[in-house]
Amino acid sequence: MGSRRNFVKGAVAALIMAAGTFSSSLFAAQHSQADELKLAFIPQENPEKLLGDIKVITKWLSDQTGVEVKGFVTIDHAAAVEALRNGDADISFMGALPFVLAEKEIGAKPLLSEIYKGAASYTGRIFVRKDSGIKSLADLKGKTIAFADPISESGYMYPLNLFVEAGLFAEPSDAGNFFDRSYFAGGYQQSMQAMAAGLVDAAGSSQYADLLLTPQQQSEVISIAESEPIPSHMVIARNGLDAGLEAKFVEAMLALNTAENKQYLAYIYGPEGYVKSNTDDYDGVRALARRYGLMK
Amino acid sequence: MRSFLLALWLCLLPGMVQATALKEAPWLPEAAAYRLSLFMGNLSPVPWNKLRDSWEQPAPGAAPATPAFELISAPQRDAVDAALKAEDRQAFFQAVTRVIAEQMLESLNASEAALGTAEARQHMLNAQGFYRAFADGIQAGDKKAFSRLGLAWLEMSSALGTEGLLGAGKNAANPAQFKQAKATIAEYVLANYGTKSFSNRAKLTPIPESVVKSGQPVALPVTLPPGSNIANQKQLPLLVLQFESAGGDETELPLVAYGDMLFDSPEIFGSPARDLGMTCSTCHNRSDVNRELFIPGLSSHAGGLDVDGAFFAPMFNDRRDDHIDTPSLRGIRFTAPYGRDGREASLRRFTRNVIVTEFAGAEPTPYMLDALMAYMREFDFLPNSKIDRQGRLTEQASAAAMRGESLFNQPFDGMNGKSCASCHVPEQNFRNGQIYDIGSDEPPFPGGTPMAFDVPTLRSAKFSAPYFHDGSLPTLARVVDWFNTTKDLGLDENARADLTAYLEAVGDADEPYQVFEGKETEFRLAFDELTTFATTLNTLLPMKDKANIKVLVETVAPDLKADASTMKNLSAKSEVYQLANLLHAVGIAVANDKWADADANWQAFQALQNEVDERMY
Repeated sequence: MGSRRNFVKGAVAALIMAAGTFSSSLFAAQHSQADELKLAFIPQENPEKLLGDIKVITKWLSDQTGVEVKGFVTIDHAAAVEALRNGDADISFMGALPFVLAEKEIGAKPLLSEIYKGAASYTGRIFVRKDSGIKSLADLKGKTIAFADPISESGYMYPLNLFVEAGLFAEPSDAGNFFDRSYFAGGYQQSMQAMAAGLVDAAGSSQYADLLLTPQQQSEVISIAESEPIPSHMVIARNGLDAGLEAKFVEAMLALNTAENKQYLAYIYGPEGYVKSNTDDYDGVRALARRYGLMK
Repeated sequence: MRSFLLALWLCLLPGMVQATALKEAPWLPEAAAYRLSLFMGNLSPVPWNKLRDSWEQPAPGAAPATPAFELISAPQRDAVDAALKAEDRQAFFQAVTRVIAEQMLESLNASEAALGTAEARQHMLNAQGFYRAFADGIQAGDKKAFSRLGLAWLEMSSALGTEGLLGAGKNAANPAQFKQAKATIAEYVLANYGTKSFSNRAKLTPIPESVVKSGQPVALPVTLPPGSNIANQKQLPLLVLQFESAGGDETELPLVAYGDMLFDSPEIFGSPARDLGMTCSTCHNRSDVNRELFIPGLSSHAGGLDVDGAFFAPMFNDRRDDHIDTPSLRGIRFTAPYGRDGREASLRRFTRNVIVTEFAGAEPTPYMLDALMAYMREFDFLPNSKIDRQGRLTEQASAAAMRGESLFNQPFDGMNGKSCASCHVPEQNFRNGQIYDIGSDEPPFPGGTPMAFDVPTLRSAKFSAPYFHDGSLPTLARVVDWFNTTKDLGLDENARADLTAYLEAVGDADEPYQVFEGKETEFRLAFDELTTFATTLNTLLPMKDKANIKVLVETVAPDLKADASTMKNLSAKSEVYQLANLLHAVGIAVANDKWADADANWQAFQALQNEVDERMY
């Protein structure tokens, strides 16, 4: 077989994108018309590749729906939500936490949820190095930890909440008294790398974040706690989107689940497929967002 | 979740360095050009034109695909350009190193100026993109600084603050914390990479100047330059082993299984190939080729490389920039002589040559060569129902291919009255075992004798593009065009299309690629192979063969761990690690002459393998 140490299929994302250059490659959205759909994409890998992917998937969606589908890249979730609010985008790819905020503030509507590893959910975990001697959450008292980002369900809120559930501190705001130091590393991979390299004692990150490490590093780390399921990333629509357009779009997206069309999933972040979203599935995220003071 | 599940990149970054450049995250254009400069600057002779291309053209592995020269200041460009013109290696190193340091500092300043906005993070990520070009050198040469700087990056990231989402989760930036962290990084980078004078560098590396100046030895892990790809071909070729297709079981053929393991083992090579995890099958995926293999500076295009240059085995450096297209090994027992120039009649001697002179391995033992021969002699061509046993087309071939068959057998004046079939003899697997100068290479000097090349088989050739010894012709149609032009065959467009259709028919296959479905995953394929390799312990342990057990364990245990990361069934990942650890324990026991312990661990391995087998996908 061979080259095993060189062949990482399950693989891994990048910390370092051509980030400083990517903002120049963003192109401005135009206001929507009735016979077109504007999709907002969040750049989470090589932005240049994303732009190439968008061309492929929007053409396919245009062919499927009979409506001109255009795509554009936003700088982050906040910009995508802003685009939904002002009508620059009709539909956006989105995380669960940004969705519940957008739902409350601008009436965004859940359409579809991504399937990964056979489920429309995943978890948050606390990872440590196997040789650290850390076996439980309590062992992390007085230690250092890296999270991904303060507005991240699996990269911050759910992992941090594990400590609250374990009774190690009462509120998320008490974390500062428990840890020696906590960091926001900027993303899943940065937090995992900081832990694997020994810069911090633990990382609070997504269930599959160990796949962001090298194969050797993956064998050297372990998860010591796992959160309840978190609804997976999703596709949402702006308030007031034409019902006919929305239905055409959803039908086309669900057609990606067929063997004939599965190849196109690689052009939209590569999930295994999509299912229709159920807004009740997000109650846990809403509750946690309230607990963290992100929602009233 | 999405941000890693969708991306198929692995990168070198602050906090992580490893020997093998896997599928990397794209590099910033200037950082890519810098790393290419280090790699190619260490080749001998230095390929100055390629170095210039690295800065003037979009660098491989960079995103966006913008030439680095377009992104740096005029004084920076002038300094690099002057060093390139002077072909002054030290001056070039100094100029390009300073460029990256200065670019990083500029990005840090921009990030600080933008604190409190989303742009601050983008500038900081840019700064990290430049830092990445130095990170492995710092980690190898100055571990304390590497940790200190790593923490400073974390501090800086945490100090950026966030504008939140629709007002929620807004955190103010911490300018003082940012400034302090920035100073930690900037001072170090300026002192070690932005300095006015650098020590003379016998080898161009990103090791910090202070460490180089101190004279302390540094073990810098081997890396390949941006744009390198030594991962397996995405469409994995189907492996056809004669005994297996006839219903045999490799676990009952220990010599073949051991040879299979060696074919997949970096342990038989020397550094740097071994350190990079390269094996026979890195280039010859599943006995065929790896059409995607590419190393900037060594490969003129994907599918091959210069195997006798300065990088892999400097002692055998022929100082020629001579890319060789990787030949398929399908049906290797039927295709002597070996080497593109047919220089070796013996596959055994040729294999030894590859291990020792091309990839700097230690002299293989007779047992190792016996095993490799036993394995490689099982390689067969891909079954192809379009040709019969005599190499004639069957009724499954197209009409165009049938017309092409006549042309293939037709004598041409431009080929001294010979036909294509004169050399590519259908009943001899479309080759004749001879070497010829057909004009595909230039003489080494005016009046010199040009190289002659082995007649390649056409069987299974449809899947091993590009063609010719240097891979200069990308398709079979271009091969036909080449012969038509250089041999004045006088074939019109239709005739050339027919001849191409014939070549594609004889080179075709009923099933060219490995199919993965459901639980038949790439991991499962690898797992079956690795556990088959391990069965050679049934032979080696009773023989108390310490040397070969060591090679086996050092190949299979790390590969099991590495492959675990590719599992679909991630819940069983830890069980693969357990298997790897048991195998590792066998190796330790054998090394210490504790044969009973070795047997016990091997038994435990087999018991666990049986227990977890269904979950291995």
